[in-house]
Amino acid sequence: MQEGRIRRRPIPLRRSITLPLIGAAALLSSVAGHSADADDGYELGHGLDLGPLNIAGYSSVVVNLPNQGQESLVLDDLSLFVTGHFGQLFNPFTEAELSSLDILHSGHLVGDYGDGDFVLERLYNDSYLTDSVTLRLGKMLSPVGEWNVIHAPPLVLTTVRPAVTYRNFSEYATGASVLYSDPNTSFPELQLYWQPVGELSERPASLTIHQYKEVEGAHVSFPLGLLDKAGVSFQQSKDVDGVDQSLYGIDFHYTIDKLTLQGEATYSDISDRGTVQARDTEWGAYAAASYALTDQWSAYGWYETFADRTAPSVAHDVLFGVAYRPHPAIVFKFEYLQNIAGHPVNPTGVFASWSVLF
Amino acid sequence: MPVRLLAIAVTAVLLLAGSARAEGLLIIANSSVNVAAPLSLSQVAAIYLLRMTIWSDGSHIVPVNREATSQIREKFTVSVLQQDNTSLAAYWNEMHFMGKQPPVVQESEQAVLAFIRNVPGSIGYISASVAPIDVKVLLRIP
Repeated sequence: MQEGRIRRRPIPLRRSITLPLIGAAALLSSVAGHSADADDGYELGHGLDLGPLNIAGYSSVVVNLPNQGQESLVLDDLSLFVTGHFGQLFNPFTEAELSSLDILHSGHLVGDYGDGDFVLERLYNDSYLTDSVTLRLGKMLSPVGEWNVIHAPPLVLTTVRPAVTYRNFSEYATGASVLYSDPNTSFPELQLYWQPVGELSERPASLTIHQYKEVEGAHVSFPLGLLDKAGVSFQQSKDVDGVDQSLYGIDFHYTIDKLTLQGEATYSDISDRGTVQARDTEWGAYAAASYALTDQWSAYGWYETFADRTAPSVAHDVLFGVAYRPHPAIVFKFEYLQNIAGHPVNPTGVFASWSVLF
Repeated sequence: MPVRLLAIAVTAVLLLAGSARAEGLLIIANSSVNVAAPLSLSQVAAIYLLRMTIWSDGSHIVPVNREATSQIREKFTVSVLQQDNTSLAAYWNEMHFMGKQPPVVQESEQAVLAFIRNVPGSIGYISASVAPIDVKVLLRIP
């Protein structure tokens, strides 16, 4: 999930949690191999139904070949999520993930470098107060833009994640949220969220750029079609160092026949410089286009500019690649990223991934 | 003469196939579902697009779909959901990642009927030529 991030230090594998995660994933994968579309309660991409529970997940293996730095073959994500539907008030959801487990790293075998990080991505309960209003309590993804809330590699456009989709805000909120969604889509969708005291099960430092303590925000989404939308985001936060941040963002996703356009932009005003920074704002934007060559093949590309708060110059990156999707839940991506100016956020190089939603 | 017989046979097959495609649909639900019939097409679409996930009594809605290659699913997708299969697959995958359960797939009319008879809150569709025994009919689509 954390594509393009620089790993700062390896964290020991939490075997007591990770081994059951791998075991459950292997079990689901074996069911997936047995039956992709069948009456036995399993459909690839839709998980395994066990009464009111649904068990599902995704995996992504990534090849990183940067022009500078170490080349690697990484199990970038192995995630399991469990959804429960027990009625109007009790609908729990949890997602746990093993992230950045090195398989090969510049010729060395696993064990020589990072052993992966266990991350509790989400843990919340949804109560459907009405047809349109849901109360969510727990740890959830912050609705800033579109990419962050659908960040699973089988669902997003590219292997390398644009910096603007994760670097400029709190990706998570632990607390309460109210979601409004009109069943007839006659009105915009709205989500308000509030994290009062910190993140539940904080992610390890190797995966974190800023650790946020207090977070509150809103996202409004204007539906333009089944997948098409335009959105506006706001997030106010304070990190663990006491730095206040106000973020404003926009996002869009629009399809014209075989061409899909999408993009996000954020601007943050950082009002209290409690740490070393090069600027008192952080901002960026990316715009992407993908074209369906056939039902299974597509070509894509994006351009991004990003002004990191700690970098003296603004990064400009371009990326282009191809994707092969033999099944809606399986995708292979092959892409090249070029840093064309400024302090690089994502490295120049070739990247490829094989991702499965199971 | 054999050519004429062959032409008649081919015509008959094509007419039968055409009539099968032109057959209507029945939207059916488990008998426990307490909702005023008929539902509107937009309500059925909202259920299958996971925008409406609970019945008025608070119970969970379980939509049932046919396999992707079936003709009846194609008819339902075009006439009710008004979307293409590729977009729907991508949409349901996203919804699933966000905690909503995409429609359950059953691979025959009898399997759909059996599932809906047995699972409270379930809703599905069958051909109008199939008898909707022990289920509630919520809508007839010509």
